[in-house]
This record gives sequence, structure tokens and C-alpha cells, in this order.
Amino acid sequence: MSDEYGVNEYERQPVPQCAWLGLRSFVGQYAGEHCAGTELMIGPLFVAAGVSAFDVVVGLIVGNALAVFSWMFLCAPIATRARLTLYFQLERICGRKLVTLYNLANGVMFCFLAGSMITVSATAFGVWFNYRQPALNDVYPNSAGWVIAVLAVGAVISVVAAYGYKMVARIANIAAPWMVLVFLAFGFVGIRQFISETGTAIHSAGDLWHMTQTAIWKGGDPLPGQIKFTFWHVMFFAWFCNMAMHVGMSDLSVFRYARQSWYAVASAAGMYVGHFMAWLCASILYALQLHLDPSNTDVLPGPLAYKACGIAGLLCVVVAGWTTANPTIYRAGLAFQAIVPGASRFKVTLATGAIATLAGMFPAIAMKLLGFVALYGLILMPMGAVVLIDFWVIKRFGMQSNYAQVSGKSFNIAAAVAWLVTLAICVTLVKLDPVIGGVRPFQIYFVSLPGWFIAAALYLIVSKFYQQQIRPTAGSAEAGEVAS
Amino acid sequence: MKLIAQVISWLALVALMLPSLLFLFGAMDNLDAVKLIMLIATVIWFVAAALWIGRSEEAAGSA
Repeated sequence: MSDEYGVNEYERQPVPQCAWLGLRSFVGQYAGEHCAGTELMIGPLFVAAGVSAFDVVVGLIVGNALAVFSWMFLCAPIATRARLTLYFQLERICGRKLVTLYNLANGVMFCFLAGSMITVSATAFGVWFNYRQPALNDVYPNSAGWVIAVLAVGAVISVVAAYGYKMVARIANIAAPWMVLVFLAFGFVGIRQFISETGTAIHSAGDLWHMTQTAIWKGGDPLPGQIKFTFWHVMFFAWFCNMAMHVGMSDLSVFRYARQSWYAVASAAGMYVGHFMAWLCASILYALQLHLDPSNTDVLPGPLAYKACGIAGLLCVVVAGWTTANPTIYRAGLAFQAIVPGASRFKVTLATGAIATLAGMFPAIAMKLLGFVALYGLILMPMGAVVLIDFWVIKRFGMQSNYAQVSGKSFNIAAAVAWLVTLAICVTLVKLDPVIGGVRPFQIYFVSLPGWFIAAALYLIVSKFYQQQIRPTAGSAEAGEVAS
Repeated sequence: MKLIAQVISWLALVALMLPSLLFLFGAMDNLDAVKLIMLIATVIWFVAAALWIGRSEEAAGSA
């Protein structure tokens, strides 16, 4: 029943008590997963977006806390009660055909995410082979060397993902504590260099804070082509960058193994190590690059890491990109394979890796990672709202939960409307980008918040009509009750 | 053997961090030396940690 990961057991049944896990398992998993290659892009992109010291530090503290609360109070309580994977739970609510559509969207987004991780790894090889690397606002590949590097990195990652997953998983486990400390070293070295370059005398924490405000995260205008980030942008980005996992309920599949729902507090390990310390340390390196040469706006994790920590830093970039791209490609392959169940896992993973490699050649995805990550959360978020309403609310309104299973339908129109109409409304709001009272409340970074309520309301309202029209058959209703 | 590998690997992590900390506080001013020590510590960590991290799971998996 288990796959190569050894964790995807009980795919179509609740996890039994004998398989439940303790808090420590989740702390390690989250700390490792959220210290990834993409952190080396996100930190610098904050600087490129013109963040100030207060906005980035306090915004990350608050936003990451909200992300942890989302895991604790939205995702884990359902996970520890139903103890089902997201896919099986969605299948019971939405029906097999709609879940297939969801899998397709999920798989495509995973491919692009893996592509950006390949991009990060490929920047490391530029230090050794000295080919022309992409600039901050580049959309297309800009040199043959870059294309060859991405092809080589992508091919290795894809073949390993298809063949030797266990070996990569083991290297990822070994690398995790080392990688966290190398990230920390980036910050230490960067701060020292700032102290030397600015001639600042640090006698107290106040002196250090003053230097961060005046030299590192200075605020002001963003770099050309970038959107200005305020406290609210940073806070919402930190909260929503893993939206697919917490509000979007992907991590139902993880926390169904937790003995208690509060174990989701373990996600704080990932947030404050990866999405606080790692982002800040990576951003310090980029701020230093801009301080030394304001005309050098390239966000290239490889050269940044090499200048700070030498070959150990370069290895960190390669390993961080590689170990996180591998499971991402594998997961994308799983999502695609669910659409074509008869296809070989090996071939599907290779094809998925090829798509991710192609995506990785286009630097626009990595260079616009802040917007892409927000879009990724937005696309998968409405289904999280559907799961939550279906689990906690729908019966209070006299309707049936797990309607697809109960009615025997393979496509729940109410869930489809909640998902697709929410996306259409949110994308329209982002495109219109209205200014209300001097602020732009519907930028891609914020729109998922009203979007969640729109999806929840739509699911309830459309279900009211839909469930009246299509009555469950006696047989399927009984089957649904038994399965519930 | 496992205990020795664990001790060596934890010492390697200390060696990985110490130079950058000393550099931060100005007690070490040669960045090239920091980079070299970090590289040596990295090699030691990967060799020593490979001897024990994930080994018990592998043994359990093959049993």
C-alpha cells in the first residue's frame, strides 16, 4: 500500500491509531521542508521590492504566526478527525472527475515550483562555468550556457526522482541541519560585511537595528519592474505562501497521522527557520550586493552564496534546490498519474521532470517568485474552503456533506462553481486592481483572503440549490453513511 | 561506531558555525579562512552523518 516515500499509506481509509505519530516527527519534517532553494530567491526579492527593516522583520513574525495558526486551527482539526488524505476527502465531496481537474492544476503548479528550484540550482553552476546568467527582469533564457546548465541540472534531478527517490530523501535528511546552519552563516557573514562596509560601530542591539534600517532593509522605492512591498505585503506573503498547504488543506495528508491537532504547532519550526531566518539571511546577502554595486541587481543565489561562504555556500544552493525539487517533481508526477492511472510511474515522473526543466529555463518564474507563490496559493485555496465548509458547516444548514459519495456523482457542480467562479472573481479583481481609499486591496498578495469567503459562500449557496435538484439514491446514500 | 560518528558530525556542525560567528564578532577577519573551514566542516559532516542518519530506518525497512 505504501509508495516509494513509505508515507502514502492508508490512501483510501482513515489512518489507524497504531500509525499515529508524535510531535517530534512533524517538527523535523517541517523544519527540513521549509528551508529550500527557493528561500534563496524570496529573501533577495523582498529587498528588490524595497522593504523596510520594520516591515520585513515584524511582517514576517506576524505572517508566519498566522500561517502556523492556519495549520493549527483550520487544517489539523479536520485532519485528526477525518484522518484521510486531501485527495480522498475531496473525492468524497467533489467526485472523481472534479478531483482529476484539481490534480491537473496541482501538478502544473508543482512543475513550475520545481522549475524555479532547478533555476536556483543552475545559478550555482554559473560560478564555476562562467556563462551569462539571467538578470532580475529577464523573462526568456539569455544564453546557451544557461540553457545547457538548466538542462543538465533538470535531467539529473528528473532521472533521480524517477529512479532513486530513497537516496535523495536520505541526502535531504543528512543535509537538513547542515543547510540550516549554512543559511545562518550567510546572515552572520553578511552582517559583518555590512558593519565593515558602512563603518558602523555596534555597541548595542539598538546600533544593529539602526544599521539594518539605514543600510540593509532601507525601504524606499523598489527596483525597476518590482512591486513595492509594505508591512502588509510581507505579512500576507508569509501567511499565504504555503496557502495550498494550510488553508488549501493539502496538509490534511500530513496531519492525519498526528495524535493531537495541536501538533500542527510544529509548522512553526519550518516557518521561523525557513521563512524567517533563511529569508532574512538571504536578503542580507542581496542587500550587500546592492550596497557594493547598486547597478548589480541580479538575483543569483549561486554567486551570492559563493561570495559569502565559498564552496560550502555553493553546495548549499545546489543541495537546497536539488533536495526540494526532487520531491516536488515526484508529487507532481503523482498528481498527473492520478489522471492517467495506467501510466508507468517512471515515465510520468520523467515527463514531469522534463516540463519542470523547461519551466526552469525561463527565469521569469524564479524572478517573479513572489507573485507566482501567491498565485499558487490562490489557485488551490478555494478547495480548502470547500473542505472546511463541508466538514464543519454544511450539515448545520440541513445539507449533506460528502455529497459526491452520497449521491454517486463524479462531478459536484457546487464545488466546481465554488472553485472556478472564485478564481474568476479573484483574477478579475487582481486585473482591475482598484484603488480604494488610497490602497490597492486586491493585489495578488491579498486577494486570497476575500477569495476564501467568496468560495465558502458560493459552495454553501450553490449546494443549497444543487442538493435539492439531485437527490441521493437510496443505495448510494447508505454507502455514504457507512463510509462516513 | 555510531556514537563516534555522531560525536564527529556534531563537532563538524560546531566547526561549520564557529568561523562565521567569530567573523561576525570581529574575532576572525580572514573571510577566505572562514570559507575553507566551512568547506572542511561540510565534508566531515556529510561523511560522518551518512554513517548514522537514516541508517536505523534502512535497517528497519530491510528487516
